Amino acid sequence: MRQVHLIAYDIADVKRYRQVYKAMCGHGDPLQYSVFRCELSEIELHGLKETLWPILNLAEDRVMIVDLGPVEGRGDDCIEYWGEPRVAPPDRAATIV
Amino acid sequence: MIDNVHHQHSTSHEPQHDTPDAANSTPTPSTTPPPTSTAEPPGADRPPEADALIPVRMLNEFTYCPRLGYLEWVQGEWADNLETRQGTFGHRHVDKPDRKSISAPKEPADAEKQDGDVIHARSIMLAADQEELLAKLDLLEIDGDRATPVDYKRGKAPDIPEGAYEPERVQLCAQGLVLRENGYACDEGVLYFIGSRRRVVIPFDDELIARTRQLVQQFRETARAGAIPPPLDDSPKCPRCSLVGICLPDETNLLREAATADTPPTKDGLRRLLPSRNDALPMYVQDQGVMIGKSGDRLTVKQKGEQLSSSRLIDVSQVSVFGNVMFSAPALRELTIRGIPVCHFTYGGWFHGITSGLTHKNVELRIRQYATAADPAGSLDIARRLIMGKIRNARTLLRRHLGDREAPVLRQLNEYHRRAGHAPTAETLLGLEGMAAKEYFAAFFTLLSGRHEFDVNGRNRRPPRDPVNAVLSFVYSLLVKELTVTLQAVGFDPMLGFFHTPRYGRPSLALDLSEEFRPLVADSVVMTVFNNGEVTGDAFIERAGAVTLTDAGRRSVIAAFERRLETEITHPIFGYRICYRRILEVQARLLARCVLGELHEYPSFCTR
Ligand code: SF4
Repeated sequence: MRQVHLIAYDIADVKRYRQVYKAMCGHGDPLQYSVFRCELSEIELHGLKETLWPILNLAEDRVMIVDLGPVEGRGDDCIEYWGEPRVAPPDRAATIV
Repeated sequence: MIDNVHHQHSTSHEPQHDTPDAANSTPTPSTTPPPTSTAEPPGADRPPEADALIPVRMLNEFTYCPRLGYLEWVQGEWADNLETRQGTFGHRHVDKPDRKSISAPKEPADAEKQDGDVIHARSIMLAADQEELLAKLDLLEIDGDRATPVDYKRGKAPDIPEGAYEPERVQLCAQGLVLRENGYACDEGVLYFIGSRRRVVIPFDDELIARTRQLVQQFRETARAGAIPPPLDDSPKCPRCSLVGICLPDETNLLREAATADTPPTKDGLRRLLPSRNDALPMYVQDQGVMIGKSGDRLTVKQKGEQLSSSRLIDVSQVSVFGNVMFSAPALRELTIRGIPVCHFTYGGWFHGITSGLTHKNVELRIRQYATAADPAGSLDIARRLIMGKIRNARTLLRRHLGDREAPVLRQLNEYHRRAGHAPTAETLLGLEGMAAKEYFAAFFTLLSGRHEFDVNGRNRRPPRDPVNAVLSFVYSLLVKELTVTLQAVGFDPMLGFFHTPRYGRPSLALDLSEEFRPLVADSVVMTVFNNGEVTGDAFIERAGAVTLTDAGRRSVIAAFERRLETEITHPIFGYRICYRRILEVQARLLARCVLGELHEYPSFCTR
């Protein structure tokens, strides 16, 4: 089952920053610059690691992952927004366009 | 007894083909792991030949659980779990101190000279015809004519006298036997545990060799017999087994017990080993002229350059498109690689096609499916259960909503249910089903508010001539789509059914399995949308006597259908909470167990 993760990062290099941003978009939604809200199962979190590790240079970059708990539990209740998030967290429902 | 559980799939390597050619072209640990999207089940192209050499990794699985070995090797099933993925990743990121001695040569199967006389070679594929084994070696240390296989394991070395659990020791010993047959002296092997950075030496003593050969023999016989070993009984191995959602150990055991017991076995304590809901959900695109594209790992829908939606690919389980919707080639390629099917509907809602990757091969299941379909008695057995399930569920729906428990229709449906159980031929069954449906629909239509406004005159289709029938037809189409996707994922051929005769462009097996779910999933959605006012008169257009839904009307119906599939209910037999979408999958798997002969009777899904 998925948990909500808050993931924030500092990336020292512009090229890596772009790569990380793109990789993060595949795993969550940006709430602020360099701060993502990601609903991920354990295995999906592992997938994110597999994607990010080859990009990062941990001598210069840093990443913080906070597990906020289950999607339908504390996960979202513990985030308080001031101002609009850059991308609103999605509802869990089938996409109908 | 948790101690006896070793980390399932700790041995799994990156997905790869078990053929020497493929092995030679499989790169060993490189710095960039492949994107998850290209992960492919190991041996997806391997035929389930009972006479083929047994890959030693499969021998590990068979030792862990004979059923697991059978599912993976003979039936070609594969599923990732966290541990398989970590195992793959672990092989790439072996701790720094060892990096030098195990750094990947440019070409796999290269041999490099080390300081001493020991030659290290990695990622070697070796066959041994006498032992009937095929070994993929992570690392081979060769000193003169002496060879030592080294196998990397995720996690820590277990604290047991043998140094490692049996599946790992057997797998390593099998590698040793392969080396011996290829002319090397080999009396021991090494397991390198990445988590504790420890080399554990495993001597190949007579006892281990005898045990290894015995397991090879048993695996061979099991594969030849074509009989899947029964699930383990309440074993702590199951929760950590990556195939638990495919194997359904507790469910299968319960149903097998039920078949032999006089009193129904208790469902208390049945572990729910599969998640109650899926993380990924379907996507429906019905706006005309839109383009579905891919941006990074997201699927985007754009209309004239304006983005209408963007979803993570990991959130998309399937894509359904109506009418004139376009795909970019990268998007379509990504969907097929990930095994996300694309379902095509006409603008009017007729399900007419599916695009899917080459993802599943359960050849054994298909062979049995064809054999069952060709056998009138076998087909009839299953068809009876499907129709009985349908009538029972139809009756339950009426009983709950008619407000009259003595209504004659309930008694009639009971009678049809009973007769369907004894129908001597498929034709009789078809007749009974038709009569039951007629009675049922007459009562069903009275449950819809606004039926007078909509001028419903019995069930009609192709084309539907009133709004209620338009929604019924559309929802059936969605249900059949859902089941086609599910059956295909389970390994069936959705085109060949046991009750519905195959016809061009008709997924007969999906129609078969849809029978018991029509009242539960489809008809209840129809009731909801009309009785809650989710669709009203302006959701329809009439053209030449045919009534169809507008875009907005269709959107409401799809939303209601999807909500229904996400609804969790208590499973009437297994006793745990589970959503309808999962129930469809579990029923498809149980149907497979029945076709494969493991269950004697298809247990149709009936709510109380
Ligand atoms: S779930 Fe249990 S019984 Fe089934 S294959 Fe896995 S370990 Fe064996």
